Amino acid sequence: MKRDINSNGYIFLYATVLVVVVAALLTAAVLYFHPFQERNEKNEKRINILRAAGIPDVNKDNAAKLFEQHCTASFLLDENGNSNEDGTLPLFVIDRKISVIPMKGNGLWGPISGYLAIAADGSTIVGANFDHKSETPGLGGEITTEKFQSQFNGKPIKENGQLVPIEFDAITGATKTSNGVKEMIDRTLKMYAPFFEKLNP
Amino acid sequence: MSQFKKLIIEPLRKTNPVTVLVLGICSCLAVTAQLKPALVMGASVTVVTALSNFIISLLRKGIPSRIRIIVQLVVVATLVILIDQFLKAFAYDVSKQLSVYVGLIITNCIIMGRLEAFALSHGPWESFLDGLGNGLGYSLILIIVAFFRELFGSGTLLGFQVIPQSFYEAGYMNNGLMILPPMALIIVGVIIWIQRTRNPEMQENNQK
Repeated sequence: MKRDINSNGYIFLYATVLVVVVAALLTAAVLYFHPFQERNEKNEKRINILRAAGIPDVNKDNAAKLFEQHCTASFLLDENGNSNEDGTLPLFVIDRKISVIPMKGNGLWGPISGYLAIAADGSTIVGANFDHKSETPGLGGEITTEKFQSQFNGKPIKENGQLVPIEFDAITGATKTSNGVKEMIDRTLKMYAPFFEKLNP
Repeated sequence: MSQFKKLIIEPLRKTNPVTVLVLGICSCLAVTAQLKPALVMGASVTVVTALSNFIISLLRKGIPSRIRIIVQLVVVATLVILIDQFLKAFAYDVSKQLSVYVGLIITNCIIMGRLEAFALSHGPWESFLDGLGNGLGYSLILIIVAFFRELFGSGTLLGFQVIPQSFYEAGYMNNGLMILPPMALIIVGVIIWIQRTRNPEMQENNQK
């Protein structure tokens, strides 16, 4: 019997089988790959924290070891800048002096994130590190480059004890992403301000 | 043998997907501000076009023609997601480079165009070669456009400074327009112009 590949019955059957097969395949792939991906993401986080703090020669192979070596404490802060188990603001201390804080914000197409490393006096940036999910490569995507990130080194976050907005060179053709970075830094610093106040009484 | 060669070489010139079929223009203007993303995008699209052409060609006799576009889209999307998941697990650095392109690859008109125009009516091996050829033809244009945009827009190539500092001191300035998407269309237009001037048989005859 010759089957009619344009009959409604066949189309429904074909579509159903195709979707079930594809769904099963993708589910299996995601379940199988997930542990590996989680390990990579965790490693990536450590690399970013260490790089922001200015630890030299961090790569994906030595990140776990270096992180254990350099990260002397990590805890959560509440909105008053005190260490508190129920706090919502994570903080990593590198080599007992540099505080590294995570940042989250919005770029043009999707979320952007980063880490800011603040010196022991609580008033100067020692390093910054940015990442993004879907900014345009060559434009907004440039926030991940050394050239963009290194300009934050040594920038003051306070003047006469007052928090000041960070100024930096934006990226040509990526105004929205640059504005997103600025908003993210200023907002995050405001949230952590009480803690840095305590570092520098 | 010469036919297989033709399938690879022709899309680089006379049947180029970007300059002759005018497909894939959207991603062409998105990723050509610099050379490196253009290379990554070109390689990704070449791999996906070749593989999806191959798979669709294998399935071509059983696909009901009324839902063929949906079937093609499902196959392409599955393929891209599988590759992306695999890279995320075992080549994290590459996957970070690629993450932005995944959506762009799935919706690239060249892939759908080749599936429709070629894979549905040809054998798997020929379709594979056709996909490879068209992917390379697309990459070629991407690389040419990105070369000029990065050189004149940022003064760099692959991130290395090529225009010497002394030029800037003498008053030379990077062209900001090069960084913006419209410049990609203008450069593609110029490439089409040059190509048609050199190959008069490609010009349509508009006189009645």
